Amino acid sequence: MIEFLTATLAAIVLAGAIATAWVRDPFSKLIALGVMIGGVIPFIVARGYLDVAIAVSLIAPIATIFVLLIAGRRDFYDA
Amino acid sequence: MTPEFYLGLAVLVIGTLAAARPRPHTYLSRMISLEIPAWGLLLIMLAYDETLALLTFIAVTAISTFVLVRVIERRGEP
Repeated sequence: MIEFLTATLAAIVLAGAIATAWVRDPFSKLIALGVMIGGVIPFIVARGYLDVAIAVSLIAPIATIFVLLIAGRRDFYDA
Repeated sequence: MTPEFYLGLAVLVIGTLAAARPRPHTYLSRMISLEIPAWGLLLIMLAYDETLALLTFIAVTAISTFVLVRVIERRGEP
């Protein structure tokens, strides 16, 4: 993999992880988690595991939808 | 080692600290923070070329997230 792409994607993954840990709103946390997942998937593709990339791309949004069920139903942030 | 290994270690440490002390001290933020070390562990598994472990881990993480969502939704308290 190109070194520039590796450094850029690693920066995206670290920024997503730190933002997920740092922000306080649950929806912002989920968006930052999506940024981190978007940075991880090119690493999986670059090593040739396309089946794993397909499984991750299908299953990770489903987990996000499950979390959205309680993030949208009740505001845990104000409680 | 490969850059995936070191990136996975960094994400694992960040996610562990975030899950240990979530910023809004609620179950929801703790569960969202729990997904960060899962992705770090996935990157470490990717560095060791374990395809079956990757697929199994992704599937089990989604199922455990579903179970945790059901438990938190049933409990109701933050």
